[in-house]
Amino acid sequence: MSAREDILAAIRARRAKAVAAPPSYCAPAPPDSVQAFVEHATRANAEVRLIANETEIPQAVAELLRARNLPAIVHVPPNASNLPWNSAPGLMRERAAPGPEDAAVAIAPFGIGETGTLAYPSATDAPASWHFRAGFEIAVIRAEDILMRMEDVIARLKATALPPTLNFVTGPSRTGDIEQTLELGAHGPKVLAILIIQD
Amino acid sequence: MTLDPRAFREAGRAALHDPSLRIALGRLKTHFALGRARAVERYGDWEALREQGRAIRDYALAHLDTLLEEFERNVVARGGQVHWARDAKEAREIVLRILREAGAKSVTKGKSMVSEEIALNPYLDANGVEPVETDLGEYIVQLRREPPSHIIAPAFHLNKEDVAKTFREAHTALDPDRPLVERTELVAEARALLRARFESADAGITGANFLTAEEGAAVLVTNEGNGDLTRLLPKTHIVLTGLEKVVANLEHAAVLLRLLTRSATGQDISSYVTVMNGPRAPDESDGPQNFHVVLVDNGRTRLLGTDAEEVLRCIRCAACLNHCPIYAAVGGHTYGATYTGPIGAALNPGLMGVGVAHRHPNASTFCGRCAEVCPVKIPLPTIMRHWRAREYASGLAPKSMTAGLGAWAFFAKRPALYRFAAGIVACALKFLARNGRVHSLPLLHNWFLVRDFPAPQGKTFHALWTARQ
Amino acid sequence: MRRDRDVREFPPARKKEAGLAAVSRLPRFEQCLYSIWGNCRKTRVVQPNAVEESRAPRPRVGLFITCLVDLVRPQVGFAAVKLLEQAGCDVEVPAQTCCGQPAWNSGADKYAADLARQVIAAFEPFDYVVAPSGSCAGMIKLHYPEVLANDARWLPRARALAAKTHELISFLVNVRGMKGVDAHCAARTCYHDSCSSLREMRVREQPRELLASVDGLSLSELKEPEVCCGFGGLFSVKYPEISERMADDKIADAQATCAEMMVGGDLGCLLHLKGRMQRKGVNMRVRHVAEVLAGMAGEPALGET
Repeated sequence: MSAREDILAAIRARRAKAVAAPPSYCAPAPPDSVQAFVEHATRANAEVRLIANETEIPQAVAELLRARNLPAIVHVPPNASNLPWNSAPGLMRERAAPGPEDAAVAIAPFGIGETGTLAYPSATDAPASWHFRAGFEIAVIRAEDILMRMEDVIARLKATALPPTLNFVTGPSRTGDIEQTLELGAHGPKVLAILIIQD
Repeated sequence: MTLDPRAFREAGRAALHDPSLRIALGRLKTHFALGRARAVERYGDWEALREQGRAIRDYALAHLDTLLEEFERNVVARGGQVHWARDAKEAREIVLRILREAGAKSVTKGKSMVSEEIALNPYLDANGVEPVETDLGEYIVQLRREPPSHIIAPAFHLNKEDVAKTFREAHTALDPDRPLVERTELVAEARALLRARFESADAGITGANFLTAEEGAAVLVTNEGNGDLTRLLPKTHIVLTGLEKVVANLEHAAVLLRLLTRSATGQDISSYVTVMNGPRAPDESDGPQNFHVVLVDNGRTRLLGTDAEEVLRCIRCAACLNHCPIYAAVGGHTYGATYTGPIGAALNPGLMGVGVAHRHPNASTFCGRCAEVCPVKIPLPTIMRHWRAREYASGLAPKSMTAGLGAWAFFAKRPALYRFAAGIVACALKFLARNGRVHSLPLLHNWFLVRDFPAPQGKTFHALWTARQ
Repeated sequence: MRRDRDVREFPPARKKEAGLAAVSRLPRFEQCLYSIWGNCRKTRVVQPNAVEESRAPRPRVGLFITCLVDLVRPQVGFAAVKLLEQAGCDVEVPAQTCCGQPAWNSGADKYAADLARQVIAAFEPFDYVVAPSGSCAGMIKLHYPEVLANDARWLPRARALAAKTHELISFLVNVRGMKGVDAHCAARTCYHDSCSSLREMRVREQPRELLASVDGLSLSELKEPEVCCGFGGLFSVKYPEISERMADDKIADAQATCAEMMVGGDLGCLLHLKGRMQRKGVNMRVRHVAEVLAGMAGEPALGET
């Protein structure tokens, strides 16, 4: 018998009791998903800024870079190339994948209020590896796309199709592996800034 | 470092007198336990969540065959491949075969306890494939040629000075004048070095925290992002995991995720949670071109339908380790096994055999904190007791103990005789006591090794009670 | 200390005072044996309904004395009797030896089952089973149904007994509604929670509540009351070095409270901790909580003469 058959036979021979499907579960949630998102993302060491509309993105990106004394260069994935970048003169855009010290923009189709999490389904115009290659990720999300729970995001995606890679990102990369003490920027971004578009 | 689960007491004795380990183990309480307590309190109805988690895991275990078949169908439908391994040897061979077919010479690895369990790294090394661990803690212990000492914090037993020394020895290109004192400097050193390894790796191997049958997806939880770089940058991605990790669907995984990260590190969610659903789409610019899942049995299905079955609910959060006074006293390496602490004590006799791992379930006072904090309500002391019963029944228990229990039971089953004997013992102990204590007695060497015995009052309660009536 | 205290004042001498005094003059070993055997033969047979019904029904409590109390510290048993009587119970002590926990925890299932049946038969006639130990009470309440799970005849009896089994202090407070005691003990005190009391029997506030009513006693909390002291029954001899470390941590925690006295509800932990204190030369009195609540704190503490 193949390993597969062997294993399945072993399971069937030993399975003893019938177990009913678990009841449905709904995690407790605060009333306002955006407010909860801001609170949780901030606790997870992300910097959150509210902006009025899409046209403010380039300016906000430029300011974030300036505030950290970083060069005015940002890596822009295909799905963010249509933003009104010309409104921030002096901000240079790169289309190549970012390196470990580079800043990159990412469009998050969904957010999760319960945990302050960004959800990124991988796509042709939204390469998944960018979320881990960059040193500084600047995420952009619409307030209306911030749902309450991870299950809500899953339901939206399942309505069409799940992507090959679905990344849930909460705060910058971190490690506690040395003396159980938090250090940011283990392999992925050292800094995560989130721009929430309110309109 | 030699690992022998049978040498628990000897290894423990050494660990108890290792000053640097004492410092490291002190962080269990101050970091892990405290963080978990706060996260649980923030959540609100934690007990309802635990009960849901238990129900989800029990449902999955009761439908393990159909869920695994469904999982396999859906992985294949999305262009991936599923491999089944009965034991460690088969699992190692499958991984090597995939790597050979991909022409892989170097492979990056996300942290995987199953990889430790099947001793994959030495096997790959011996077969011309270089494995590079990329979880910071796992990378550090790999450089030191040590096994991880904790399920979620492999280098838990080390202090930053140890890490600095390890890097200086291993990173030969490192400028000797460059400071390597602060944790930030150590993390930056590993980040720079490992990024190059990610970019050049031919294949990546990760574990999985959950497999979801309905979607054919593997869910991976990390904080560093190393698991994602391991998946996304090389051409081939292998998910190596225990077959019991399967659950019905992504919604079930989302519930377990709430339990996992809070129990593990006290986070509401980890920095990265990734749903890995097959290889990249044809028009995508990154992601693996080949996607494999290796399902490892290695003793797991043998536990189904036994009194130890509930141990398979485990989601490897390590909360039981973090709250275990035994683990806190001796650390992980004392166990001489991949799984340590209470979950190791409940799992190892099942995976390794009672004859090999019977010291582990005995290394517990049954204080019950592990079961109290377990997010999926595994009755860990009950399972450890089950293994003790197996040990006893197979004649593996120490002869001195079985003889003592036999003699004691002989008296205990005969109340009049027992009272007679107890009266003599009470009287004799008082007789032997000096300054309110008995300092030593033959046959009870291990009691008197570390403590005295407070002098009894001299007569038994039953004698006095009968007299009073 | 007074050396003429061999004739202890427990049990509160009512009958046979002369006889008791005669056999108490230790260490006359032969005399001791003689009296022990004499007492052993008088097995008390418990008869259901042997107690007269009084107008206000007084529950009949079967006191499970525990083997350590029997052997080492009979005073705890008498303290338990006194407290139960204060709480309006009729107390009886049926023939008994051990609950079987050492066998069960070692995996010696047959011995455990034999002893469980013995305890069930002896204690079934009572309204309640009460033990001055969370560990023994937990064995009966939680584990007897596991011990006899495959015994169709005894399982219902095990469950029935489990349902009426209680740890002493929680019984006094939760079942009998005791709010306080009339006792005096001037001492800075810390309380040691045993794991089985805390997690199996849900005993936490009850002893603290009653201790708060003891005149002169002040109670300070350990920093980590929920952490095990390292006794664990046979664990203490299987892994003595780990047990030692855990005891030392517990003792350090107790010392940090500046307490002069440690009290607790399980004699196993207390013997282990006091024994370790004696070995280390730590000077702290250790007592069972029942002794303090029953006003017996005037007697020498554990391991004192």
